[in-house]
Amino acid sequence: MKDLLDRIVNATVKGDETRAIALAHEAMAKDFDPFKVIQQGYARGMEIVGDLFARLEYFLPEVMLAADAMTAALEVLKPHLQDRENGGSSGTIVIATIQGDLHDLGKNIVKVMLEAAGFTVYDMGADVAVSALIAKAQEVEADIIAASAILTTTMAHMPDIAKILAELGIRDHFRIMLGGAPVIREWAFQAGADGYGEDAAEAVETARQLMVSTSIGAQP
Amino acid sequence: MIGFWEVIARSENGPLFKEKKFDMQLAAAARQLAEKYDIRYNSQKVVPDDDDLADRLYQAALDLFLEVGIYCRDTGRLIQFNREEVVQAVQNAPRTVTYGQGRDEAVMTSRRVEDPTPPFVVMTPVGTPVAEERFVAMVQSYAQEPLAQTFSSAFSQTINGRPIKAATPQETEAAIWNVIKLREAARAAGRPFIGIHNLVTNAERSDATLAAMQPAFGVLPNDGLGIAAISELKVDYERIKKVVFMRHSGHNKYGLYGPLLGGFAGGTETTAIVHVAHHFLGLLAYEAQWHCGFPLHLHHGCNSCRELLWLIAVTSQALSRNTHSPIAVSPFSAAGPCTDMVIYEMAAISIAASVSGANLLACAPARNRHPERATGMEARVCAEAGHVAAHQKISRREANTIVMDLLARYETTIADAPLGQCLAECYDLATLQPSQEYLDLYQSCRSKIGLNYSLL
Repeated sequence: MKDLLDRIVNATVKGDETRAIALAHEAMAKDFDPFKVIQQGYARGMEIVGDLFARLEYFLPEVMLAADAMTAALEVLKPHLQDRENGGSSGTIVIATIQGDLHDLGKNIVKVMLEAAGFTVYDMGADVAVSALIAKAQEVEADIIAASAILTTTMAHMPDIAKILAELGIRDHFRIMLGGAPVIREWAFQAGADGYGEDAAEAVETARQLMVSTSIGAQP
Repeated sequence: MIGFWEVIARSENGPLFKEKKFDMQLAAAARQLAEKYDIRYNSQKVVPDDDDLADRLYQAALDLFLEVGIYCRDTGRLIQFNREEVVQAVQNAPRTVTYGQGRDEAVMTSRRVEDPTPPFVVMTPVGTPVAEERFVAMVQSYAQEPLAQTFSSAFSQTINGRPIKAATPQETEAAIWNVIKLREAARAAGRPFIGIHNLVTNAERSDATLAAMQPAFGVLPNDGLGIAAISELKVDYERIKKVVFMRHSGHNKYGLYGPLLGGFAGGTETTAIVHVAHHFLGLLAYEAQWHCGFPLHLHHGCNSCRELLWLIAVTSQALSRNTHSPIAVSPFSAAGPCTDMVIYEMAAISIAASVSGANLLACAPARNRHPERATGMEARVCAEAGHVAAHQKISRREANTIVMDLLARYETTIADAPLGQCLAECYDLATLQPSQEYLDLYQSCRSKIGLNYSLL
């Protein structure tokens, strides 16, 4: 199994989607545990990609290729995960750039890194109204609502997420995670966030922590 | 020469293209050109003095632009050009831009590499958030700087006590308030007719922005706006609507380009190529009269690091050697006001830019994200370093020595840079003068910068 896992790690790091899919089929044909294949193969590969990105030995396109390769392989593995515990997803996140804001590069980076970390991510794109974000989170029974802003004017819509969730009586159904160029930590928590990401790496770590956290609306 | 409306027609009729495919191909295409033209980053020569490298970079950027074009987000189409169209746009580009009126009139021109003419300096806190009651004080601290030739805006966090939300009625109210207060600050600074190069920085939508651009609110006919590219080599109609308005109104307009090192443009060399290619986007899609770059490091959020200093220097040289358009660089530091680090960072960027033929848009301290942490003093640091470098007629080789020395003073602390002080802490808000602590710190740091400040 180790040889196969090494090849999966290698294919993921190289962003070789065709190879990543073929190896997923090979692993299932040999009746390997799909969860182990994900954790010790594809997810391990993405960890390496994340490290390379942190050192800027990899750039955003390479990270996206690797994430695409992993996502395609996960589609192969999904049917085999259904009857097992711990179906492979770290949690469900609805993510968007907030209302009025058309800039989505930062959000896209965070999305890719979250997917690489095993989260199921619903990307609503840019310029998304808070009401639409909440509706999607309800529809997919998300664990986390994540919002990004690059403009100080659009950032002002972010407090409405917690406010509207509270008005709807569903504040405790979701964790809120905020980030983006003008969003600083103190402001995010004042705006009702449960978590904050200074950058993509911190966003992933925050999302992981929020999945095991029991408190909602806690101050940092 | 290709006309503006032909460009718009191409945005409606050009080839359909997937946005993700456009993003993913960019770095790969730039990488091939970096190899073809032998564009190599040299970490020991952050201010290169290789004219041929600068010219090769320009050719690589032109090839890239011809290959990938501009992506129009609203239509999902490519806007493509042939070589002759781009060359003609460069040849017919404006050579000067005039801001302000009367004794406050100032003319921005292009500069040459190692130009003894000081850089034109536009000063601005680059939209740094500030409390409403300190907005005028903050922007006045820039407008009153002797070397400021135009100025622009901070970002008031509220207007009449209410938060500004994009795409709401409050956004329009905020845009108008912003313009009125900027002219009020100009008058308070004793420079009533100084130009405002970017009138509205607190509204995203064109309706709010254009509603504010009225003479009744204190707007001069040659005040203007900066029009940014969305992500790498992309435009959208929200921005182009502002261009259409200014084609009729006569206000000045400039292009703003901030490619991310580590993002879709890839690494240092390829981001340099993509950055220069934005010049053509600005000329053709925005009819920009001048061009301002703020390339940033994806992780650090500033451009004072080693790779970005090289990128700023080499791209400025490429454009100043091969075009006659005025260009500017916007320094972004990691550290905040009243720290020795911010002084060294701002000086390093300004020297690298000035000696490479750029003007200065000064500036964005504390990664441009921390409320109240921007003052006229950091802009003064930028402007004086750029001016002295020109007056002293330093060569690029000499500049490299100075900038490498400055880099050594702060490079290891970029990730954990000090935030420094807020405006109210390092300025006397009654007199609107820097604190003695800040003045002493600057005086002390100047002696270590390696320039002859008596030439100011």
